[in-house]
Amino acid sequence: MHAVSWGVASPAIAAAFAASLVEVVEAFTIVLAVSTFRGWRPAALGTFVALCVLGLLVVAIGPLLELIPLKALQLTIGVLLLLFGMGWLRKAILRSAGALPLHDEVAAYAAETEQLSEEAKRKHTSLNWIAGLAAFKAVLLEGLEVVFIVIAVGAGRGLLWPAAGGAFAACIAVLAIGAVIHQPLSKVPENTLKFGVGVMLSAFGVFWTGEGLGVEWPGADLSLLVLVAAFLATGVATATLLRRSAAEAAS
Amino acid sequence: MTLLRDIASELFGMFVADARLSGAILLLVVLVAALVATLGAEPLLDGGLLLFGCLAILVAAAIRGARPH
Repeated sequence: MHAVSWGVASPAIAAAFAASLVEVVEAFTIVLAVSTFRGWRPAALGTFVALCVLGLLVVAIGPLLELIPLKALQLTIGVLLLLFGMGWLRKAILRSAGALPLHDEVAAYAAETEQLSEEAKRKHTSLNWIAGLAAFKAVLLEGLEVVFIVIAVGAGRGLLWPAAGGAFAACIAVLAIGAVIHQPLSKVPENTLKFGVGVMLSAFGVFWTGEGLGVEWPGADLSLLVLVAAFLATGVATATLLRRSAAEAAS
Repeated sequence: MTLLRDIASELFGMFVADARLSGAILLLVVLVAALVATLGAEPLLDGGLLLFGCLAILVAAAIRGARPH
């Protein structure tokens, strides 16, 4: 950590925190639906087992990454970050422009509850088993994205632990707020967070891909801030442009 | 088996949510890699091409996505 400037460390931690916040909010909605449906025991058990699987995944992947040469690792992670981050940013731009509907946690909660009831009627398995499995799947699938983001923003420069800390802080924040209000966290500005995370992941993607290909960025780590500014300005301008042309087409 | 299928579909969706966007990004990276291999690493040229190429791909993907289907 001592050799890493805050120019790289703070966007990595912020990206891990914000991305995890989005994913944990989505997982929390399903876990909450499960706990309302069958009580907290199957919800907690499913969540715990999924977290163990995710933990094992990190423990297994961590040492493997150390075996990969740094340039190859930076290039691989950079390209994956570009694919993932620009996908998120594109979707956030479209949602911000009104071309795609915003993600609705209350609707997701209602849909999950209905699906659980239907599954319980259709199958003659234990309801606790169905509920536990639903919580397990939700945490595992949303957690996979968190694990990827933590590894992707952390592995290139030895920032795995700070990035994991950012993700852990997001989990604690969602759990603390969720425990108090005991409702889907529908007020979280999910698209704004996704927009910000998409910007940061895309900027990291360009940075690592360039480094992996042998590009020496002018200003070294500080060029990351320029990349963030470029993606942010382009994203905001594109969303504004699309919103305006949609309004003009409608009038 | 459903769980494994869901995991595979989640992983695929993470990186290939829009096939044309993903294809364009990969093509750009190959282009920059070829440029570095033939002309040597020129920070402003290679970095600039990578950055502005990505921005152009992003804008094109967003405009395409906003078009009514």
